[in-house]
Amino acid sequence: MSEPLFEFKNIHVEVEGKKVVHGVSLKINKGEVHAIMGPNGSGKSSLSNALMGHPAYKITQGEAFLDGRNLINMSADERSRAGLFLAFQYPLAIPGVTVANFMRAALQSHRGKDADMTDFRKLFTAQMKELHVDRSFATRYLNDGFSGGEKKRIEILQMSMLKPRIALLDETDSGLDIDALKQVAEGINRYHNDENGVLMVTHYQRLLNYVKPQYVHVMYKGQFVTSGGPELALKLEDRGYEWIEKKVGQEAEV
Amino acid sequence: MNNSATQIPTDNSTYHIPEAALDLISGPQWLHKMRQTARKVFNDTPLPQRGLALWRYTNPESFLVDHNQMVGAQSCEGCNKTTEEVRQQFNDGNLAGLAIDCCGRDIEIQTGPDAEQGLVILPLSVAMDTHEKLIQKHFGQLVGSDTGKFEALNTALWHDGIFVYVPDNTTIENPVHLLRYGDGAKTTYYPRLLIVLDNNAQLTLIDEYSDGSVEHDNGYAYVNGAVEIFGAKDSRCNYIPLQQHTSSTRIYLNHRTRIEQGASTFTIPLVFGSGLSKENFGVYLDGSGAESNIYGVLFGSGHQQFDNHTLHHHRASKTLSNIDFKVVLRDRAVSAYTGLIRIDQNAVACEAYQGNRNLLLNEGTRAETIPELEILNEDVQCSHGATVGPVDPEMVFFLTARGINREEAIRMIVSGFIEGTLSHIPNNLQERISNIVQQRLEVN
Repeated sequence: MSEPLFEFKNIHVEVEGKKVVHGVSLKINKGEVHAIMGPNGSGKSSLSNALMGHPAYKITQGEAFLDGRNLINMSADERSRAGLFLAFQYPLAIPGVTVANFMRAALQSHRGKDADMTDFRKLFTAQMKELHVDRSFATRYLNDGFSGGEKKRIEILQMSMLKPRIALLDETDSGLDIDALKQVAEGINRYHNDENGVLMVTHYQRLLNYVKPQYVHVMYKGQFVTSGGPELALKLEDRGYEWIEKKVGQEAEV
Repeated sequence: MNNSATQIPTDNSTYHIPEAALDLISGPQWLHKMRQTARKVFNDTPLPQRGLALWRYTNPESFLVDHNQMVGAQSCEGCNKTTEEVRQQFNDGNLAGLAIDCCGRDIEIQTGPDAEQGLVILPLSVAMDTHEKLIQKHFGQLVGSDTGKFEALNTALWHDGIFVYVPDNTTIENPVHLLRYGDGAKTTYYPRLLIVLDNNAQLTLIDEYSDGSVEHDNGYAYVNGAVEIFGAKDSRCNYIPLQQHTSSTRIYLNHRTRIEQGASTFTIPLVFGSGLSKENFGVYLDGSGAESNIYGVLFGSGHQQFDNHTLHHHRASKTLSNIDFKVVLRDRAVSAYTGLIRIDQNAVACEAYQGNRNLLLNEGTRAETIPELEILNEDVQCSHGATVGPVDPEMVFFLTARGINREEAIRMIVSGFIEGTLSHIPNNLQERISNIVQQRLEVN
């Protein structure tokens, strides 16, 4: 078997001196879609931020590789250029920076300082159309006054433009109505192919109705407590996270 | 903000205006009298006390010069090096007028077709003859010997300045650009500007200050300037003071505007230069429905020290004022901002807003912000807010997570921070200001 597209091993994360992730490991091969599910406060977002290189989320132990390249000593921008993408749970507003200028700067950084950007406008316009984003958003300030759904669509727009090797989607379904959820899911499915990978991090099962994972991992108190196929997501939907809490409790007693 | 370079005066007469100094300046009798009064006021007035509100952060001794330097340059040298870009804009028809003021000594003026509509731009020395009544009515009313010691210094010793007049019901579409050059070490320059807008007149004016000479190895240059703007009923004035003196220049500038019923004014201070500066931007709202906006941008680096004040004095009912003063500091630069809103007892149904945001790009910078409110009646809406802090690390992370390197991310965030202000300045100046900010962000 060839080497995995994305792999992290025994990742421990600390935030402000507090340990929030205690040794998690995962392998994602090309073409795979994985989901990490878990209740609030289980460490899902901390893991996502730490993998992306957020300075406040320190990886104190463990390794992470993308296309065989060690990510741990890379800064966030280097990880992005190496092919990692994080769609944020709460995309931040950057006043005074237009969506178009931001997108151009991001794409330029991926292509290299002197790379040709003459196709930018065409690409950008096409992607906006596919994601049902109004053209007027190009000249609006990034996420400034955007609704929850608009912010998430703009995140997916960024993913579509940057074409990462691995897309980490942190609660991308939160705050979306059903139409927006479908459009965002379509965007993810359009992006996904046999050469890249998707890792969805979510509290609810509903996004998984539209973007089908082959593997589901359940995170609880900073650890992966169980893994399985798509049926695991349905089981969680059915039984709720209490089932996991009981299960972990029982195992601890044994 | 101590400035140890200034010597403590041992003999007070060293810092007095000599009587003979006034004899070197020609002008009408009333003006000569005004100068004499100002001279007396300056000589008799003690330095402001350090503890007083507006002098908490800057040593007033910094703006004293001995009488040799005080009199100002008798001639001007080398003040024509950086005017080409602005000249080109004028030649391309993008400016209504252009004035180049060298040390208050040589003033060159060009006006385009707008002059046919009645736009007047003249050296004050000439306008004293051609528009004497208009000048006598306004000159020294907003900045004069009773404003303060340093204003008295300017009023006594200014040599020549610029007069701009727009008659009734006249809109000057293109901006007027003034270039004002001080000249090198151990010289003093007293810029003076009087703008009068008649009823329903409109004008945009860029007032750019810099040094014609960069030879400052032998001591600092001193600039003490006064600007008076009068906006009559329903007039509209966009005034953009752009300050780019070198770090070996100290400046003291007082800009004062008075607007009448239904008049509005936009003041957009763009503060980039000088080693030590104290600038005062004040607007008197004297007629019902008058509106004033002050949108400032300050960028400091190196060891620059800034001390800025704004004043919005509501003296009539239903007047509106708004301030958004943005400060970016790096290296060891320091800034103090004091914003006073005063609403008189009989000025009811007024609105006044004031914001001051300070972005500190590294440790070692410092920003102080002091809002002052004197509101003498209950029927007002008023708010103020201030922030001081570094670039938001979450914003930096957001941009870097998209592949943009840290330095570029900070440049984008800072540019975004001032973007809203730049959208209010004339198009032909926007790119220049963006470039100045980018350069200031890059130089190490």
